[in-house]
Parts: sequence; C-alpha cells; structure tokens
Amino acid sequence: MAFDSYTLRNQFPILQQTAYDYPLAYLDNAATTQKPLLVLDAIQDYYRSFNANVHRGAHFLSDRATNHFEQARERVANFINAPENSHVIWSKGTTEAINMVAYGLEHLLEKDDEILITSLEHHANLVPWQQLAFRTGARLRVLPLTSNGEWEPEYQKYFTDRTRIFAATQVSNAIGVRTPLQTMINEAKQYNAFTLVDGAQAVAHYPVDVQAIDCDFYVFSGHKMYGPTGIGVLYGKSQALDVLLPYQTGGEMVRHVAYQATEFNILPYRLEAGTPHIDGAIGLAAACEFLAQQDRVALLDWEQKLANHVYTRLRKEGGIEIYSPEHETTLVSLSVPNIHTIDLNAYLDSKGVAVRAGSHCAHPLMAQLGVSGTLRASFACYNTLEEADQFCDVLLEAIEILADE
Amino acid sequence: MNDFPSPHTVKQQLQACRSKEETFKALVALSKRLPRLSDEEKTDENQVKGCESAVWLIVEGSAEQRYFKADSDAKLMRGVLVAIISLITGKTQQAIQEMDLKTELAELNLSSYLTSSRTNGVLSILARLQA
Ligand SMILES: Cc1ncc(COP(=O)(O)O)c(C=O)c1O
Repeated sequence: MAFDSYTLRNQFPILQQTAYDYPLAYLDNAATTQKPLLVLDAIQDYYRSFNANVHRGAHFLSDRATNHFEQARERVANFINAPENSHVIWSKGTTEAINMVAYGLEHLLEKDDEILITSLEHHANLVPWQQLAFRTGARLRVLPLTSNGEWEPEYQKYFTDRTRIFAATQVSNAIGVRTPLQTMINEAKQYNAFTLVDGAQAVAHYPVDVQAIDCDFYVFSGHKMYGPTGIGVLYGKSQALDVLLPYQTGGEMVRHVAYQATEFNILPYRLEAGTPHIDGAIGLAAACEFLAQQDRVALLDWEQKLANHVYTRLRKEGGIEIYSPEHETTLVSLSVPNIHTIDLNAYLDSKGVAVRAGSHCAHPLMAQLGVSGTLRASFACYNTLEEADQFCDVLLEAIEILADE
Repeated sequence: MNDFPSPHTVKQQLQACRSKEETFKALVALSKRLPRLSDEEKTDENQVKGCESAVWLIVEGSAEQRYFKADSDAKLMRGVLVAIISLITGKTQQAIQEMDLKTELAELNLSSYLTSSRTNGVLSILARLQA
C-alpha cells in the first residue's frame, strides 16, 4: 500500500480549515499532533456506549469499560513490544511518568550517588532529576552530546560506579537529532544504573521496541502520537517497576487498608492510584491502532522527506542558521541572525503557518547552541509538500520584511 | 522629549489593518519610531519579566508628567511598545493609572497580544506602566 499523506489528511477533521483566510499549515507537531477520526470516534464511543468506572465490576457497563480499558493496555503494550501488559502503567504524560520514577527511586539514592542525563534533554527529563538530586544529596551530571547527537569515546568517563540513574531522550524535541541511545544504554548497564528513555519525540515516528532497547523505563505521551492529551505511559521492566515506591497513594492501588497499615495491589495497579483516565487510555490505544494501520517505513520516509525539503531549500538561501540535521529528522529548527524568532513566528502565523518559536523547554541546550531560541517546524504524517513550501515561502517573506534596512 | 507618533496617527495606522498580516506590517513600521536603549540602560532592574522576548522599560519624568523609554529584542514588541507609549506619554501618573489600556489596545487590533498566554508579556508591561 502506497503511503499518501493527501488521503490520510482526510482522516483529520481539524485540518480541513483555513486560518485568517490562508490554508492552515499545522507544523507544530512536536508540541502536539492532531487526532484522526479513529481516535475521536473511540473516545466518543466510550462516552456514548460504555462509560462506567473500571475495576469495580458488578454491572454491565463497568464490565465493558473494564474490558476496553485493559484491552487498551494490551494494545499499547504491543505497540512498544512490552513483554507483559502489566508493565504498562498509565500516566498523565511523559512528565508525570518521569516524576513517578524520580520519586519512586528516591529511597534507593544516597549522598554522592550520580544521576546522569544528556545535554539534549527537555526540562521534563532534567528538572525532576535535579530536584531528586537536591533531595537526596546525589549529584546531577550531564553527558555533553554534540548537536549532531554524536557519541565521543571520552564520554565513557561520565559513567562511574556511582551512576545510579541514566536518563536520556531518544530524539531531541528542540533540534530533532537522534541520540546514540543504544550505545549509552549499553554503557549505563555496565554500571548497573537504572536506565530511563524519554520517548516523547520518538513514538510518533519510529517503531519502538522496548525489549530491544533493553532500558528499565520507557516513557511517552499520547498527545504527541495522534492520541489524546492527559494520557501517557510509564513502561518498566518488572524488576524496575517493583522497586518503585508509589508516587501517589489512594484508591484502586490497594489490596487491603486498615488504619494501621495498607497492603498495596499488584502491578500495574500499585502505581495507578485513583480512577484512571479511561477515555484517554482508550484514545491512546486507538492512536496505536491508527499507526499500526500505516506503512510505518513509508510514513517516516515521508516526514523525513518534508524536513529535508525545507532544510535543502533554506540552506540554499544562506543567512539562516539550521540546528537540526540534514537527514534522518522530522523537524527543522533554525534561527536568523538579528531577527527574533518570535517575530518570524508572528508573521508565519498571520499567513496560516503554525510553528513554534522559543527555547522548546530546553534552556541549557539553547545556551549550548548560543541562541535564546529557535523557530521549529515539525512534521507529521498528514503534512504535505505544499505546506513545507508554504513554510519556506512565508519564512523568506518574513525575513525580508524584518531585516534591518 | 520622546519623538513618538501621536495617538491619533497610531490609531489610524492600526485601525486600518484588516488582517493579522496588515497589523504585523503596521507594527514593523511603528517599531522604527522607537529610540533604542543603550546597553547600560538594559539592566536587570529595567527588564520586564514574563515576556518571551526581552523587554526593558524606563519610567521618567514626574507624577505630573510621565515619559517612557523602552526597548525589546523583538521588532513586533517594539511596535507594540510604541503604540502603548503613544497613548500615555506626557500624561500624569494618575491619568495613566485610570486608563483602561487593555480596551484601548484591543481597539487598535492588538488584542491577540493581550491574551494571557504563556508567551505573552504585554500584560506585565501594562502592570508596570500603571503601577
Ligand atoms: C522530549 C520531550 N520530553 C518530554 C516532554 C514532555 O511531555 P508532556 O508535556 O506531554 O509531559 C516533551 C514535550 O514537549 C518532549 O518533547
């Protein structure tokens, strides 16, 4: 089956509109993607046909809701090739999943232990570790990856006998580069560090196999992969999940409660206090289904082609700094000397092009690049070559208008 | 003292805009009327926090007659600053405090700069001007 973004687009009702009388070019997909009918219908269907609380059993609707909810877990487990459904824990998103781990491992950390992250992290995979270090007296260390995402042999020295946790992103949200993930994970494992992979920017584009990566934790958000907001996943190996102390306690996560003590439930429930985000889980499973229906190789190829098209066109122009790689990325991150990215963003917006200007929640990385922010156009499967050109055309217009005479 | 366009001129220019794109171009034109601050004036103290672009604001004159100097590293923001300052320059402190600047800016087609989004600092600028 040939991949055709023009046909696929029809499954996204939101894209069938104009913005200020211009065709809407939605190129802010790294922030959040739009949702296909499959996802919208799954959520509607849940509320129209089988909304009830789960795990309470006892009646017709609750059984149906519980079945769909647990099938959603299975769908997501298959999507990332988790060995067991119970290794998939629902969270609000990537941020909450990382916090669940940062709080859950706190009891194992001692003064002078080391937490290692990379220099390409989103604040979500930085601040929770920094705060954990503050609470425990551990040290936060930063493995300096180049903006090409390159691994230098001397990086080995960042891993030490004190490295207890290694957390790294698979793909940088700010500059779109892929990190040398497998090399880093393998290295971390030599030191018996817990490994966490931030898959937020990977799941929509790259097929993910958590068993192949062999990390302890893998986290991602539903809304960046065509699913709803407010739902995400903490995947963990069973030994890893087992040592996590519950980040939240309350109903649903317990087996027996007395005033003196509480016996916690088994995984995955032990880490899912309270009524879960049922429609979110069902919507996320539908998003996995949507992706499974696509030719993933062709889809990624298309997204990379769009990014490369923009890269190539803008590179020819000169005067534009591009921070994302030429190949193997689905976004273009750039800045223009002496023009604020916010001004570029405003002009693009006025002509219907939705992109993002700013630091992309990565202040330390921006400092490394020596800029205050970048302009980022990020592609998804439904974007077209016309949209990529619309972005380039309007950007070049903006530069002309904004350049100091 | 400050060579700002009159509020009348600013109003004419901005109210004539029929689209976001025209407003954008009008703001770029207005931005050229803002005298830039020196590096010494761009102190931490003069910086308005809460803006995605850097904005500096200096209040001068007396309560009887206020003048303002401002700058930003973003051009559109410099245009917005010209629009705001043109409305209040030379007025008394009390008159400025009594103005409904939000409404006046909305009438200039600038309402999209006033929403309290995460990246917008115009409200913090107004707060400082009317303090
Ligand atoms: C690489 C990366 N990590 C973490 C996050 C945080 O995701 P969320 O806001 O969905 O929790 C993002 C989202 O921008 C991201 O791009």
